[in-house]
Amino acid sequence: MPEPLLSIRDLVVEFKTDDGIVHAVDGISYDVMPGETLGIVGESGSGKSVSTLALLGLIPQPPGRIVSGTAMFKGRDLLKLKKKEQRAFRGKEVAMVFQDPMTSLNPVLKVGYQLGEAIKTHFPDEKDEAIRARVIELLRLVGVPNPDTRADQYPHEFSGGMRQRAMIAMAIANSPSLLIADEPTTALDVTIQAQVLEVMKTVQTETHAATILITHDLGIVAEMCDRVLVMYGGKIVEAGDVYTIFKAPRHPYTIGLMNSLPKLTEDEEWLEPIPGAPPSLINRPPGCAFHPRCFLSQGRDRCRADVPELRMVGDGHYAACHFSEELVDFKSKFAEAVPA
Amino acid sequence: MLTYIARRILYSIPVLFVSTFLSFMFVSLAGDPRQNLLANPKLSHAHYKALFHTYHLDVSIPVRYWYWLQDVFEHKLGSSLLTSQPIWPDITRAMGHTLQVIGIAEIIAITLGVAVGIFSAVKQYSIFDYLFTTVSFLGYAMPTFWLALLLQILFTDIYLSYNVRIFYTSGLNSGVTSNTWSLDRLQHIALPVATLAIISFAVYSRYMRASMLDVISTDYIRTARAKGLPERLVIMRHVFRNALIPVVTVAALNIGGLLGGAIITETIFSLDGMGYYFIQKLGQLDVYAVMAYLAITSLFIIIFNLIADVVYGYLDPRIRYD
Ligand SMILES: Nc1ncnc2c1ncn2[C@@H]1O[C@H](COP(=O)(O)OP(=O)(O)OP(=O)(O)O)[C@@H](O)[C@H]1O
Ligand code: SF4
Ligand SMILES: [Mg+2]
Repeated sequence: MPEPLLSIRDLVVEFKTDDGIVHAVDGISYDVMPGETLGIVGESGSGKSVSTLALLGLIPQPPGRIVSGTAMFKGRDLLKLKKKEQRAFRGKEVAMVFQDPMTSLNPVLKVGYQLGEAIKTHFPDEKDEAIRARVIELLRLVGVPNPDTRADQYPHEFSGGMRQRAMIAMAIANSPSLLIADEPTTALDVTIQAQVLEVMKTVQTETHAATILITHDLGIVAEMCDRVLVMYGGKIVEAGDVYTIFKAPRHPYTIGLMNSLPKLTEDEEWLEPIPGAPPSLINRPPGCAFHPRCFLSQGRDRCRADVPELRMVGDGHYAACHFSEELVDFKSKFAEAVPA
Repeated sequence: MLTYIARRILYSIPVLFVSTFLSFMFVSLAGDPRQNLLANPKLSHAHYKALFHTYHLDVSIPVRYWYWLQDVFEHKLGSSLLTSQPIWPDITRAMGHTLQVIGIAEIIAITLGVAVGIFSAVKQYSIFDYLFTTVSFLGYAMPTFWLALLLQILFTDIYLSYNVRIFYTSGLNSGVTSNTWSLDRLQHIALPVATLAIISFAVYSRYMRASMLDVISTDYIRTARAKGLPERLVIMRHVFRNALIPVVTVAALNIGGLLGGAIITETIFSLDGMGYYFIQKLGQLDVYAVMAYLAITSLFIIIFNLIADVVYGYLDPRIRYD
């Protein structure tokens, strides 16, 4: 087994709000291997963003608080770093691409300047011409046409897709070993989404960075990822390699997500959304947070009383469901599409 | 940019004509200057008929406005109906004094307001923040006349009790005249400057703080932090300039208005400035002096609106001038 690049254990993040404490991330653990692409999926509010923002110390504190946990990265615990050490990691070892490219660039500074700043911050002695050359090279790599002129333009002169390319270029400027992309395509048109995903792939082959790709689109996971974590109510409910999970999911929530996804090969009469709404993170349902919406539970007491642990259900495959074994023979509607 | 400024100036011309015409009409309707002449028993009927004619008081208001305009351009704002004195020397002297007082007060208020706004936002909910929040709210809540009187009483008392003269509480000079930048002048204008500066400071520091907090929570500041940029640079490079944009507009409009004279402050400190001039001439119903004042203040407001827009465009590249 190779050493994981990032190893998160028991991460707990809370937010203090007027309505009570929001348990945004509730004891999650996972590893990221060097060079792999790990998908994190889950409904809105399941804690996907917060769990990764915590790694970079970007949780607004207050109201947020990292209650416990470790995040070992190259022998250091990212959560215990001093402010200054943390900054040395940000944008150099661990870089991030955010969801909304329309608001993620500073409107009053030129795009080239903002990219160059990412380099200059970590290499203050670098000459301005060298930085500029690198910025243009980066813009070219992510497919921004006329990078020389584009570098001198302001963000409002870029389209959404072009801005997201620039954000990706900024993230890989210092060849980080971990790239976190938080819904990088959600805010874009479908055709632009595909292009930006292509850019993500190019960038991965170019930099060999491990990637955490946050999305609520299982289609993107299928296309991009090696492994996937499914989050629900601040917890990981299922984890495994993409093929296994698409073929034989072992958590009712994952099955629900798949049933709500169209299968492009056939005309489907209807898609089945998961009934009910995501759980409150302030007054969490007792036992399994998914039980009010679960088709498998059928009102069994155990689901309402005990919190299911994430346990191994197959080779590198984990699920947090008391009755996961009852799903052993379940074949997802994508089963035939998955290569053996 | 230059064509934009030129076009804005061209647009301002009709605005100025309309606004002066309206004020001319209202001022003329508010008090008939003929009453002043009629009240003088030494004038015979024929005499004041002749006077009305020379001063065009016997024609309709629009025609009188036309004569007034000619006077404004040919004789530098014309002369007073009451005293026959030319208006220009009086009003420019008052203008100079107002410029000095407002200029100093606003420079202090902007510098301190912006600095305190930045610190309050960066150290939100600190003792510093609470302290200046309190100071700003006091500055907001205190009526100008009350603050001015308070300062005046305080320094009069100090003088009477200890016989030391730190600041004068009225007028501009101890002698008949004084140098614009003499110590004597500064001792005279310190209190009106302080009054105006405190009130403007309250506004600017609050605006700057709110604006900084708005910007600090934006996505692009998170991006800047995610780069590993030190917090000091995040604030100075990324937050500051964006936060300044709305403050610039407020400041420019505020200054444009104040240059018309801080009427209350100047009156309390008997300061020979624009506001004081206006109040006196209005009291005497000196139509043309009041009109000259209104024309000049309209001009200032138009100019500072233009300055606000130009600076705005300079700070924010999204604003296009074409
Ligand atoms: N600054 C904050 N203050 C209070 N609560 C917060 C804050 N940031 C996040 N939360 C809460 O934490 C929970 C998890 O949020 P998070 O952004 O991680 O969700 P997500 O899975 O990324 O959702 P989305 O798909 O909408 O991006 C949410 O319930 C949210 O309300
Ligand atoms: S533990 Fe119970 S409620 Fe939770 S997913 Fe499994 S069956 Fe459903
Ligand atoms: Mg999110």
